[in-house]
Amino acid sequence: MNAELIIPLLAAAIQSGTPILYATLGEILTEKAGVLNLGVEGMMITGALAAFVTAQVTGHPALAFLMAGLVGAVVGGIHALVCLWFLGNQVVSGLALTIFGLGLADYLGTPLIGQTAPGFDKLALPLVHGIPVLGPIVFQQDILVYTAIIMVPLVWFFLEKCRWGLNLRAVGEHPEAAAAAGINVLRYRWIGILGGGCLAGFGGAYLSLAYTHLWTSNLTGGRGWIAVALVIFAFWRPGRALLGAYLFGGVMAFQLRLQAVGTHLPSSLLLMLPYFLTVLVLVFSSWKSRQTDAPAALGVNFEPND
Amino acid sequence: MSHDHPLIRLEGLTKKFGPLYANRDITLDIRAGRIKSLLGENGAGKSTLMGMLAGRLRPDGGRILIEGRPRHFSSARDAISEGIGMVYQHFMLVDAMTVAENIFLGHPGGILLQQDAMERQVEALARQVRLEIDPRARIADLSMGEKQRVEILKLLFRRNRVLIFDEPTAVLTPQESKQLFEALREMARQDKAIVFISHKLDEVLDLSDEIAVLRKGEVVADMTADRVQTKEALARLMVGREVILQVDREPVETRQTVLRVRGLNDAPLKDVNLTVRQGEILGLVGVAGNGQKPLVETICGLRAPGTGHVRLMGQNWSRFFRKRRWDGNLSYVPEDRQGLATCRNLSLTENFLLTTRQGFSRGPWLQRPAAEKRLRELIQTFDIHPPDPLSQARQLSGGNLQKMVLAREFFRRPRLIVAEQPTQGLDIAATEDVWGVLLKARSRAGILLVTGDLAEALSLSDRLAVMFDGRIVDTFDADDRAKIDAIGLMMAGVTETARSAIPDA
Repeated sequence: MNAELIIPLLAAAIQSGTPILYATLGEILTEKAGVLNLGVEGMMITGALAAFVTAQVTGHPALAFLMAGLVGAVVGGIHALVCLWFLGNQVVSGLALTIFGLGLADYLGTPLIGQTAPGFDKLALPLVHGIPVLGPIVFQQDILVYTAIIMVPLVWFFLEKCRWGLNLRAVGEHPEAAAAAGINVLRYRWIGILGGGCLAGFGGAYLSLAYTHLWTSNLTGGRGWIAVALVIFAFWRPGRALLGAYLFGGVMAFQLRLQAVGTHLPSSLLLMLPYFLTVLVLVFSSWKSRQTDAPAALGVNFEPND
Repeated sequence: MSHDHPLIRLEGLTKKFGPLYANRDITLDIRAGRIKSLLGENGAGKSTLMGMLAGRLRPDGGRILIEGRPRHFSSARDAISEGIGMVYQHFMLVDAMTVAENIFLGHPGGILLQQDAMERQVEALARQVRLEIDPRARIADLSMGEKQRVEILKLLFRRNRVLIFDEPTAVLTPQESKQLFEALREMARQDKAIVFISHKLDEVLDLSDEIAVLRKGEVVADMTADRVQTKEALARLMVGREVILQVDREPVETRQTVLRVRGLNDAPLKDVNLTVRQGEILGLVGVAGNGQKPLVETICGLRAPGTGHVRLMGQNWSRFFRKRRWDGNLSYVPEDRQGLATCRNLSLTENFLLTTRQGFSRGPWLQRPAAEKRLRELIQTFDIHPPDPLSQARQLSGGNLQKMVLAREFFRRPRLIVAEQPTQGLDIAATEDVWGVLLKARSRAGILLVTGDLAEALSLSDRLAVMFDGRIVDTFDADDRAKIDAIGLMMAGVTETARSAIPDA
């Protein structure tokens, strides 16, 4: 393979990895607060739809992007309500959220199939876009790619260096200890879930505003689930999430290209590739290292006493 | 500050759980600069009372006065802001974070964390009260005693005036307990009010300025420490009847060897030799973490031995554990009765069947009714409450659960019993029961008693082995006065004969 092939492939890897990156960062935030939310897929697709509709109606992609975050957070809020208020089972609630989101987006989105909406175009960054190799791969993307990259250190900084981040992590590790230290456990879990929902919504918005510009059914195509798996692969660290998201984006872009070029392999096998990789990655990351940064109280509901 | 007016007065405090009174009309004074002990058995209501003072539980009646003014706490936060802090039995620390992070957790301050400044402040505070600790260490890497220091520093850091300790020595080694007591006295000198909750008479007598005794939710005595006449009188107040603190051991003839460990090397174990015969109790004492755990796990088949020989009932380790798993030869009574010994959410019958299938299964089918019937008899013999084979394990108190485990294990008539900290966290009455059961079992089994409680080891054992740094330092008969006097030193690793006298037990 030569540079003409590899550079566009890597650029495509970043594009198709970006929605996963948003969603993975969001799920890291949620899980660090001790809440497992399997509804990423549902929050992503409702976010995608909200962004698409807003962009069509108002013509402002930026507003559409923010709307997606808001809707993602609102859908995530259902999970928060079920788990934090009514102490419902987190796994069941998350699964329900995915089914709900996919169903809702299908129902509301069917009339929109095939329509287009104004979105984000490529924005070459001044000065750096001319750097050989790196320029065309990283610095000739749309603004949402740059925002996603900036999100990585931001989330890391919030979790590791801010007092609120410390509190949020404590709530995810040992909610009773956090409560005994005077921290409002439920408040931080709300923050984790809503923040995670917002980022998942952003991820969805990337798909409808920048990746495709048009609405199709099942736009997210399992990316939410890949994000859930990537959180484990990333050991709950934002930096590794970036690596993982682009790796998966790369595989997705690669199999698309292979299909386009035409091989003897059945396309169904190629389509399976990213999900197969997800399974592999989960097996290896659970096997290799016992000591990850998994929050100790992940998935455990917290019941404040009387 | 004057010591005449109490810093805190509890007035007629009452707390009910359903129809049961956990606390009834309790009135107590807590004074600055004094150590007040709250003595009582498990279930006497000590923890409930302190829960109300720490803001975790809301009283159903009565009031709390702080410096003469009534206060209402609706959460732990309110109590914290009044300077009342509690060191819980189960530490409230985040394992994945550092000492400094834990101490600063929930502490108001700027948005950004200043790691260096935090660590310096913690170090300075630690030095001031002589509780040395590395502020950069992760909690998961600390010993129990060190974790407790972090808890104390957490309270001191928030300038707490009242420090409540809920059974703080239950998890400590004797040395660590001694250090803790010194720190407590030091804090009292710095005008803190200390509340010490315990059921251990010696500790209470050793430490306290004032002693209040709780029984069945009510205060039965409240006095200064110098008014206590004897330990026995105090015990009688606490239990409500005569207590026998001595046990009578009838000698039993020792018979065949049921456990023989020879030259076992398997880090951290170093050249471990010991022998247990039927009819004797071998007390294995030592500070926790000196290799007892891996040794017990090896003997009980949870961990493969390294080099050396481990023979059970005359068979070597791999053969024994391959072939004879469920028959009555070996019983293990683990320290962790909630996790390793029982399943919280299973009924007592199911827990009984966990290790004891023989006689209660036909082909692939379990015969529950038969097991339930046998268990009913056992429940009566061992006096387990609630006496219902269908109640879940988590509904039982620590003492009753331990009796349940012992009942189950002894039902199989084992020839070798490994009992690990069998009375840890139990009150006097339950401890008496467990000791009695162990002594009775001795007539037909060899018992390896692993304990951190020297008094327990001395009252029960026929022979003693002292463990330090993965090694059996010495093994001797329980009537060897000279050796017994040196146990404390041996446990600390201070012995000139440690190397030369690796015993042939």
